[in-house]
Amino acid sequence: MSHEATLHGHDSHGHDDHGHHEHHDTFLTKYVFSQDHKMIAKQFLITGMVWAVLGGLMSVLFRLQLGYPDASFPWLESILGKWAKGGQITPEAYYALVTTHGTVLVFFVLTAGLSGTFANFLIPLQVGARDMASPFMNMLSYWFFLAASVVMLSSMFVETGPFSGGWTAYPPLSALGDASPGSKTGMDLWIIAMALFVVSSLLGGLNYIATILNMRTKGMSMTRLPLTIWALFFTAVLGVLSFPVLLSGLILLIFDRNFGTSFYLSDIFVNGVGALSNEGGSAILYQHLFWFLGHPEVYIILLPAMGMVSEIMSINSRKPIFGYMAMLGSLFAIAALAFLVWAHHMFVTGLNPFLGSIFVLLTLLIAVPSAIKVFNWLTTLWRGNIRFTPAMLFAIGFVSLFISGGLTGIWLGNAALDIHLHDTYFVIAHFHIVMGVASMFGMFAGVYHWFPKMYGRYLNNSLGYIHFWVTMAGAYLIFWPMHYEGLAGMPRRYFDFSIWESFKQFAELNRFISTVSMIVFAVQILFLINFFYSIFKGRKVTTTNPWEANTLEWTTPINPGHGNWPGEIPEVHRWAYDYGKDGKDFIPQDVPVGADESSH
Amino acid sequence: MSNVTTASSEAKWWNGGKSPFDVEYGKVMMWYFLMSDAFTFGAFLISYGTVRFSTNGWPDPNKVFKSFPFAPEGVNAPLVFVSIMTFILIVSSVTMVLAVHAGKMMDKKGVVRNMIWTIIGGIAFLSCQAWEWNHLHHEGAWWGLNPFNNADGTASSTNFTNFFFTITGFHGFHVFSGVVINIIMLIMTLMDKFEQRGHYLMIEKAGLYWHFVDLVWVFVFTCFYLL
Amino acid sequence: MSNHDSHSAEHHHDVIAEIKKVTIILSVLTIVELVLGFWMIDITSEGLRLAIKGAIVILMMAKAFYIVAYFMHLKHEIKNLIMTIVVPLALFIWFIAAFLADGNSFRNLRNNYDPHFKEQSTIKVPEKHHAGGESHKATEKHEAGSTEKHEEKAAH
Repeated sequence: MSHEATLHGHDSHGHDDHGHHEHHDTFLTKYVFSQDHKMIAKQFLITGMVWAVLGGLMSVLFRLQLGYPDASFPWLESILGKWAKGGQITPEAYYALVTTHGTVLVFFVLTAGLSGTFANFLIPLQVGARDMASPFMNMLSYWFFLAASVVMLSSMFVETGPFSGGWTAYPPLSALGDASPGSKTGMDLWIIAMALFVVSSLLGGLNYIATILNMRTKGMSMTRLPLTIWALFFTAVLGVLSFPVLLSGLILLIFDRNFGTSFYLSDIFVNGVGALSNEGGSAILYQHLFWFLGHPEVYIILLPAMGMVSEIMSINSRKPIFGYMAMLGSLFAIAALAFLVWAHHMFVTGLNPFLGSIFVLLTLLIAVPSAIKVFNWLTTLWRGNIRFTPAMLFAIGFVSLFISGGLTGIWLGNAALDIHLHDTYFVIAHFHIVMGVASMFGMFAGVYHWFPKMYGRYLNNSLGYIHFWVTMAGAYLIFWPMHYEGLAGMPRRYFDFSIWESFKQFAELNRFISTVSMIVFAVQILFLINFFYSIFKGRKVTTTNPWEANTLEWTTPINPGHGNWPGEIPEVHRWAYDYGKDGKDFIPQDVPVGADESSH
Repeated sequence: MSNVTTASSEAKWWNGGKSPFDVEYGKVMMWYFLMSDAFTFGAFLISYGTVRFSTNGWPDPNKVFKSFPFAPEGVNAPLVFVSIMTFILIVSSVTMVLAVHAGKMMDKKGVVRNMIWTIIGGIAFLSCQAWEWNHLHHEGAWWGLNPFNNADGTASSTNFTNFFFTITGFHGFHVFSGVVINIIMLIMTLMDKFEQRGHYLMIEKAGLYWHFVDLVWVFVFTCFYLL
Repeated sequence: MSNHDSHSAEHHHDVIAEIKKVTIILSVLTIVELVLGFWMIDITSEGLRLAIKGAIVILMMAKAFYIVAYFMHLKHEIKNLIMTIVVPLALFIWFIAAFLADGNSFRNLRNNYDPHFKEQSTIKVPEKHHAGGESHKATEKHEAGSTEKHEEKAAH
């Protein structure tokens, strides 16, 4: 029966269909229950942006408390109600804000919002496919994400407030319902939201992997893939293999909370109640399980940004990316090492020192592929005809932040130093710069760069420049001083530092950081205005390839329909980085190799 | 990666326009889903191991799992019942392989016959598990309740039963969903869905899932009953 | 390689023969495991027990190999697919080693520095077996009482 023939016949048919059938879309099928990867990408982007605004607003609120611990803002009470009695944020509300800010930014914005948007948008377009391998599962992925969002959002409106024990949800704060107000319903909703999120990321990740492996167009060999696609591929693999471990950890947590087990509980004494009968568990087990996801998660956040930055840099330097294979190898090395280093978040848990030293070694190894990537980016820029578009600026900003934040990572990866720096503002500064703000920059770069493909219009450049420079300066002004605070021992997650003699010296600095954070937040609003204004009123794109780029997405019409290419899918004849070759500014991937062309 | 390979036939696999694995995307997804699920189960079993390693004493499985249905109370038959469960699952895996093979041969009757046997095996396994859970519950074991002492006679923490019920329960849930999937596959076969499509690839994917359930049992069985 | 001539009777017999062979191997492995398990019941020597447990783990891996390779057909897939499945599974090595090593280290720490923990593992308790079975470690202790557990937090 020729098994093979049916296989491929099946494959290509299913996907050519999209190109030819033009069925009439209603509003519901086009914007809501869409199975078009481009629309799903926009859904992820918009939802991610809503979360980014909420998460950012939360950080502004708790920065307000840290910067002005004694002041009272009556308007706060009108927003937060009982959480800000007398215009001052209560400690419970403060912890809830910190926790939700962390969870939301890490998972909902920088995981779903970043790789959800760009994996969905770019994978089919850049590998040359009509859509994802399974558009239906892709749609489900978004809907599970939305469900997770709704549950997480609803946790903010329950009587006892959202979970407030930190985004890592360590037991016993997360396991004992009476540990804090947020440990009650808020924590249950947190777990449900995260479980839904894991499902969403699994459905998405399987689709991305299957699409990249199976649906590449003719000639698109793995080594001709743009680096963005490679980065998104490793991101998906990381997600598929690490999120289930979090799921297991959360299931055990549910049992600890509701069914009297003690997986994570042992030797607990509660004032007024006495010793709990929970014996034999280990809270450290949860930390291991959490960080087995948690560390790959950092790269789930960072890798898509790295991929997009590589590509945007090459395009806007009008030069091939320097060291494509080295970039690929370092991506692989980072992805592999991501799974081997989780316990460097746990040096002060009483981790076996010998085991700890292995984790130190493995952690410091990450510096090697990271440095390779940084040098390759710098050499890509070297002697290029750089076009300073907002996307390019954000890409360069990403590299700057990645270097500054990466260097402090070497400090923290070292167990001896980490014992002093653990849980201080130094850590906050480190991970915000290297992972939070850097990935945010990658995301901005991506949005500025691919906005014309998404909406057929340009973003306003002048607003883009203001957005970049204020954000760039703000990022350093906010997080640089935190290194000093951390070195001086200022611990993270404290509600009020003004009562300690040793931290009073930082009152001024804290106020400064808070002020800058508000300015930076205001500039993000400017970006949002730019974004939504440009969707409807922005300058129209008149050419299919506005950035003169080589990748396949720019061979589609300006506003591609479902199915992406009206005719045949173009065949690929070269890698994605033929810039400035043989005196030509750029040669798109679908241009056949000429007879007299030099090989790269 | 592919650029290192010199054999032209191998390089072609990765050149795009077709699957580098010579399988359709659904099977790639199924394999990766199973890897993901392997990490879920892996995390459970490794947690179990970690807690066992951080505890001084642990109950002796041979004293806990020694009963048999319809046998007189107090019978001492360690490992007997669970070995029957293990063989049920292995046999149902074999019938599943036969169903997949029949599907490849486009032999509808063979598919139907073997799928029915597989479903019966799955249900038999679930019944065995239900009996065992029920029996243990009557002995006073449940989440947060552990009537058994450690092998050395000292008091045991509840984690023995906690992990037992959580992990076998999660495995049982997988068996249950596997049975449901198999029933759906059987109905689709009977409705000639696969004959119309010209291939039984769905049966293959259901088969992968079913074998994975068997695979997990190999580990669960060893970790809880033998070690 | 198996796809082109799947109609031929010869191929059919090959497959059936392979299934039979693997079924027998799996049964034999399981029986050996069970025999080892029965044997272990009466053995008190810790070293020998450990050796038997090691043997059982090896047999378990062998069973897993046969299920994945033949029942799940992985051995007959092309090498690309085999590698993309097997290589990521290597992550389990460090996953298992690090978790168990830290579990072990946690026990040693508690035995050294937690007298209560150490003491508990020396006191023998009477068998609770079959004794009506309802007077066990309580379940709902940690739900009891609304506690002000704010010590963890540095609020005020």
